Amino acid sequence: MTCGGHMGLAMKTVLFLAIAVVAQAAGNVCLAIGIKPLAVLASFDPGAWPTLVAAALSNPWLWAGTVLLIIFTVLFTLVLSWADLSLAMPVVSVEVVVNVALAAWLLGERVEPLHWAGVALVAGGVALVADSARPPVATATISSCGEDPRS
Amino acid sequence: MIEVLLITIMVLADSASDVLVARSMKRIGPVDDFKPRSLLALAGRVVRCPSFLLGITMAAVHFGTFLALLSFVELSVVVPAGALVYVTGTLGARLVLHERVDRRRWIGVGLIAAGVALVALA
Repeated sequence: MTCGGHMGLAMKTVLFLAIAVVAQAAGNVCLAIGIKPLAVLASFDPGAWPTLVAAALSNPWLWAGTVLLIIFTVLFTLVLSWADLSLAMPVVSVEVVVNVALAAWLLGERVEPLHWAGVALVAGGVALVADSARPPVATATISSCGEDPRS
Repeated sequence: MIEVLLITIMVLADSASDVLVARSMKRIGPVDDFKPRSLLALAGRVVRCPSFLLGITMAAVHFGTFLALLSFVELSVVVPAGALVYVTGTLGARLVLHERVDRRRWIGVGLIAAGVALVALA
């Protein structure tokens, strides 16, 4: 069996997932920036809703955030076309850490050591949950070169 | 208190959309033909599937509550809290769908719950 793209595929998986995770975290940062000025417009009065919707639709940060989240979804879906979900999901679990890091860096949120410890536990927990989706027998993940491993 | 309510709605809507969309797509069958005409036919089938539409509605509720939370809660709190979806998902798999849940997964669920508790305390 020729498996010429072996390393290439693993590299591609890592590259795509890395870009996906950064896009997702950056998208969330954009949404956080974009939504803050709209909070003052929020109201239970339906008469105020058209103004709120108009303000949301004309907000470039919300558009940027939405586009970045679409990029994440497309990249993640593409990776799933050749890699197992049980491989991709534990890798993507690092997004919790990347989100908090970007929030601290770009939004100036204060993240205490206890908060970081909690974030690390969450990321580790997500990785474990996602990894447990892996069937115990089939250990082949990205080594199958996109072929059906059963064939 | 409102943030706890919104986080609860966000996490439950996320779990519900996962289950509903996954179940609908299973019913619709595997997608292996990506020609525009076939994708259009697929779109026609999914929009006539009530559980898929409900799943998409739940995804919209998830996105809406996520945005609402971001308007007054820090991103560094909202994102870790969103990981509670793995806890509700696992409990749902065990209690509702009666799936077997292995020990690794329970440990992961415990770590997430402990981590979110730490973030809430910090």
